[in-house]
Amino acid sequence: MKPVIGQGGGIKTEERQNTRMHRRELKSTVAIRVRNVSKSFPGVQALLGINFELLTGEVHGLVGANGAGKSTFIRVLSGASQPDTGEIEVQGSPLLFEDPRLKRSAGIAAIYQELTIIPEMSVLSNAFLGMVPSRFFFTDKRRMERRFVELSNWMGIHISPHVNAGTLSVANQQMIEILRAVQTDQNVLIMDEPTAPLGPYERAKLYDLIGRLKESGVSIIFISHDLDEVLKLSDRVSVMREGLLVESRRAANWTKDALVQAMLGDVQIVPSMKRNYATAGELLHVTNLTLPGRLSGLSFGVHRGEILGIAGLVGAGRTEVLRCIAGAEPSVQGSMRFAGTNCAWPRTVREAIGRGIVLAPEDRKLQGLVLSRTSLSNLMLADLHAVAIGPIIDRKKTSARGRTLARQLRFNLERLDTEALNLSGGNQQKLVLGKWLNRKPKILLLDEPTRGIDLGAKQEIFQAIRRLSDEGMGVILVSSDLEEVVEHSDRVLVLARGRQIELIDGREATVERILNLIFAVESSVTESGET
Amino acid sequence: MSDAEALSSGSVRQTSTWRALLPTLIRVYGIILTLVLLLTVVTIGNPAFISQQNIFNMASQWAPAGIMAVGMTFVILTGGFDLSVASAYSLCAVVAAYVGQSHTPSIAFAAAIAVGLLFGLANGILVAVVRINPFITTVGSGFIINGVALVMTQNAAFLVDNDAFGILGAGRWHSVPYSGMLLVTFFIIFGFVLARTIYGEAIYAVGGNYEASRLSGIRVRAVIASAYVLMGGCVGLAGSIAASQLSSAQANLDPGIIFDVLTIVVVGGTSLSGGSGAMWRTAVGLGIIATISNGFVLLDISPYYQSIIKGSIIVAALALDTGLTRLVRAK
Repeated sequence: MKPVIGQGGGIKTEERQNTRMHRRELKSTVAIRVRNVSKSFPGVQALLGINFELLTGEVHGLVGANGAGKSTFIRVLSGASQPDTGEIEVQGSPLLFEDPRLKRSAGIAAIYQELTIIPEMSVLSNAFLGMVPSRFFFTDKRRMERRFVELSNWMGIHISPHVNAGTLSVANQQMIEILRAVQTDQNVLIMDEPTAPLGPYERAKLYDLIGRLKESGVSIIFISHDLDEVLKLSDRVSVMREGLLVESRRAANWTKDALVQAMLGDVQIVPSMKRNYATAGELLHVTNLTLPGRLSGLSFGVHRGEILGIAGLVGAGRTEVLRCIAGAEPSVQGSMRFAGTNCAWPRTVREAIGRGIVLAPEDRKLQGLVLSRTSLSNLMLADLHAVAIGPIIDRKKTSARGRTLARQLRFNLERLDTEALNLSGGNQQKLVLGKWLNRKPKILLLDEPTRGIDLGAKQEIFQAIRRLSDEGMGVILVSSDLEEVVEHSDRVLVLARGRQIELIDGREATVERILNLIFAVESSVTESGET
Repeated sequence: MSDAEALSSGSVRQTSTWRALLPTLIRVYGIILTLVLLLTVVTIGNPAFISQQNIFNMASQWAPAGIMAVGMTFVILTGGFDLSVASAYSLCAVVAAYVGQSHTPSIAFAAAIAVGLLFGLANGILVAVVRINPFITTVGSGFIINGVALVMTQNAAFLVDNDAFGILGAGRWHSVPYSGMLLVTFFIIFGFVLARTIYGEAIYAVGGNYEASRLSGIRVRAVIASAYVLMGGCVGLAGSIAASQLSSAQANLDPGIIFDVLTIVVVGGTSLSGGSGAMWRTAVGLGIIATISNGFVLLDISPYYQSIIKGSIIVAALALDTGLTRLVRAK
């Protein structure tokens, strides 16, 4: 089922086995050594005298809050940007800072946090982007296909190489990114939050893959906000804070709490809030929600002040449920009761907003924000009439309202005039939320509100959400992070393959129970031969 | 993202704010520097450049292209493009001249503006509702409009023998040209609309991120279509002014004017990808293009060199802008 790499019968098999053996000889040597690397951007010192060692065949976890400098650090390592001072040695020879192509020949491949998939090209072309195997001047498509099948079997993924990459789910796109990095057969692999878009099932596959890469002698730098995952996978873990590499220890010598303390420095973290089960009346009830081909026959309700979590694997239809309720899917079928009266299903986003149902979408940059505009503009976007006199926008009102919202969300007031493009993920998410809080919605639909953002910002966002739900707002929460769903939801709706599996009381929900429910369905479907 | 994130991270220590601000200032206002430089060079070369009469003449001469640049700024900010303006401009002028032969000038100009709005609406519906690529839509509609003008005129010039018809384009109030006043008024009114109104904010939002705007409840299709309608209105007025200035019009009045209009908007620094730019930028762009063209005449530069110099200045201005942007965003 999962052949070891190199046994797939590809043309380069012998060659590759040789490189693997070569790697084994290098074991216990240093793959990358970083000495005193600093880098600043106009106005910001992003890296400050970083010293770092990556051993051959080790998985090295790298953690830190947003803006700690992790991304800048890996960009420097992978050659995407140049350090101001300091030096980097790869396998003992200094690295020249030119372009990523040269870096590739130095044996380093990186998977960036932002996907670099080209949506209009096929999966196959994306997997071999920039390194198309060729015979004379022609691309060798047969070789590409063979290698693709070999690698995807090895990785345990099943994606057709001929569909456009843009049609894949974000999780599968991420798997293609990983495949692209793996296929170059590098000695060092840098992964910047590779698990952020993945559900539990895909994550398990990736952990497995990392284990096998490590066995074959590849050194891996692994960045993630999921500390359990970092501790589980890594041999050593380094913590970054404010451009400094604060501490490196063997993973066994870290605990989750110690990591959090090191990441946050002196900042205290607030323990998660007590659950407050909803007893008030039902605000929204949907019956027989069906989206042809995606969802079938879901029925559930949301009470005033309740947070309803939706749990499921990637592709289970979580996002679709939210989009249907938000009026973004015109082909939806089903009936809706809102605030005690039957009403027509909203067919446009404007209709839903008119009723007080709003969506904070999955992809902050593509669906949530106008990146070229300021934070303030983005906060006002959904309710411009509230800060205008007739058709003319009142600057005083805008500024006053923006400040109030920023304080509610603990958004830095000085960043209100910054373009959204220049904000960290956590701050961007606060804007997406703030945009809707401005309208005082009755139902808030949250799709992956904490993807890729740091602990501090996560806490602030959930505090804001809980405060609002205490005031009577109903919330539906979708997240790939099951722990988060369990921790914050009053009830959990479990989905698999577009069907409703169960609606669990939040006090009885555990990650284990939810996963068991989901995998029971997944395995029965696989056994019956469905794809 | 990582660089930008690092840039924005509040927790990371600050270096000198002055050094940080300078490139941003140059990027935002550098285009004004270019204009001032050009004005200085041309004035030194021939002081007649800043004479009141020359300035007023320029305002009148550039009124049609400038007014169309106002509309084009809206279209480009929504992430669109309108290549049909050259044909539509000629057709509107032809309509004004044709109607002006038998009716009063105000009816003639109203007819021209109505025709402009109508074709603008057609472009808007095709781009925003049918969702055809704006480039293709307007190339196609440009051909159609040009054909209509040719059929109407049989490629002959329409002459208008009525002094009142010439007032809009060539008339003056105490030596200030009406057309120049209209130009300035358009810039002020639509500059205000863009910068200070709900509609202006929606134009930026739709061009910056269509999906986010839709999910925020903005009427995205109406907003995009309206930009083309506004463009059409501007084309109608520009055509009227041109017909009035010449007291005549023909089907191929000035096919090259599309390049002037686009260059004015883009040189000012409004991004072709939509969502970023401003009306004052278009005003500065107009100043730059008008100064270059007028400077050629005043400095008596051989026409053979004119296009080389004009092209070089345009490319240099854009290269400067892009280079500085990169310096600021992702060093």
